[in-house]
Amino acid sequence: MDTSNPAVFVNAELLGRYVGRKVRAVIQVIRNDGSAVIGKSTDEKQIIVKGLPPSQLTTFVEVIGIAEGQNSISADKWTNFGDNFDTFTYNKLCQLANGEYQHLFL
Amino acid sequence: MFGSQFDGAAAFSGGGFMPSQSTAQFADPSSASPAKSRDTQSLLPVTVKQINNALVSHDEKINVLIDGVDVTNVTLLGMVCNKAERVTDVTFSLDDGTGRIDCNRWINEPLDTNEMEGILDGMYVRVHGHLKSFQGKRQLNVFSIRPVTDYNEIASHFIECVYVHVYNTRLQKSQVGASVQPQVTNPIMSNSMKPHPAPPPNQLPVQRSLDGFSQNIQLVLDCFLRPENLRPERGVHINDIAQQLSLPVDKIREAIPYLEEEGLIYSTVNDFHYKSTTNA
Repeated sequence: MDTSNPAVFVNAELLGRYVGRKVRAVIQVIRNDGSAVIGKSTDEKQIIVKGLPPSQLTTFVEVIGIAEGQNSISADKWTNFGDNFDTFTYNKLCQLANGEYQHLFL
Repeated sequence: MFGSQFDGAAAFSGGGFMPSQSTAQFADPSSASPAKSRDTQSLLPVTVKQINNALVSHDEKINVLIDGVDVTNVTLLGMVCNKAERVTDVTFSLDDGTGRIDCNRWINEPLDTNEMEGILDGMYVRVHGHLKSFQGKRQLNVFSIRPVTDYNEIASHFIECVYVHVYNTRLQKSQVGASVQPQVTNPIMSNSMKPHPAPPPNQLPVQRSLDGFSQNIQLVLDCFLRPENLRPERGVHINDIAQQLSLPVDKIREAIPYLEEEGLIYSTVNDFHYKSTTNA
């Protein structure tokens, strides 16, 4: 068992807190130019995700990678989450996981 | 009257996710019973981080305690990695974002083989398993694994972890304050056992003096709840109650039907013997 390298649930607002650390976020894909994806975070802000996106992306994609800055992630894992996704609930989870109940996650 | 006392959590028992009240009693490490009842084997949604925390604080114990609840079966949701197939089992790590835990799935039947063949590294899965210690390491004996198809299940799982954590920690806090009062499950009972019960007026015969009547009911009930009166299987003769309370037998006879209707006492060997429904 190893909990030394968690991937923190983040939205755009929380991303800046974890620069240099592993994070995970769900984004709504706006544009994919092959080397980076511009997307909308669950709190409706723009995020740039760098890395090697798979050729086929669904509307919602989860990325796991290193937080590079206030609005960019260098991703190494991409998971298609389909075209229907409840971003509101996911965003609430980001807040819970970085707030009152952080000790269950980090 | 009872509408306001409706407790959703108690009524639904948390759908198996929550420990029953009896489990919570055992949650106190000092009173932990070695004989496990079925109640203690509830299924808890947890994060790897919670399991890891439980280890740190209770490593000397055989059982894992999370939020004061004895944990045997858990459900987790995360990504499969390092899957390795062996002759009798399949091992993999489950990464739920809070950490990684080693899992194994025994292969007994072709069905199990089929199930595991569909599971690949990088896939999100929901697992149900038995938490155990093997060669000093915690691992999960998985008895069910299925791929996540609706990704909203991820948020749902972690929010459920938070909910169950809050539920169990609140339960503990309330128990600390409650000390050693007898377990009361019946809302009617708990109400009647308060020092001054106030049965709603419409349930009482109007012509009686309300206060005197309800006072007698309380006295009689308290008398039934005395340990020496709880013990005998046949209950207590109403004459004995009258004697113990120094009240005329008629007063006791008046109180009996009310207490009986409320399910607080019942007649035993004949119409003169009654016993409290509370356990001795």
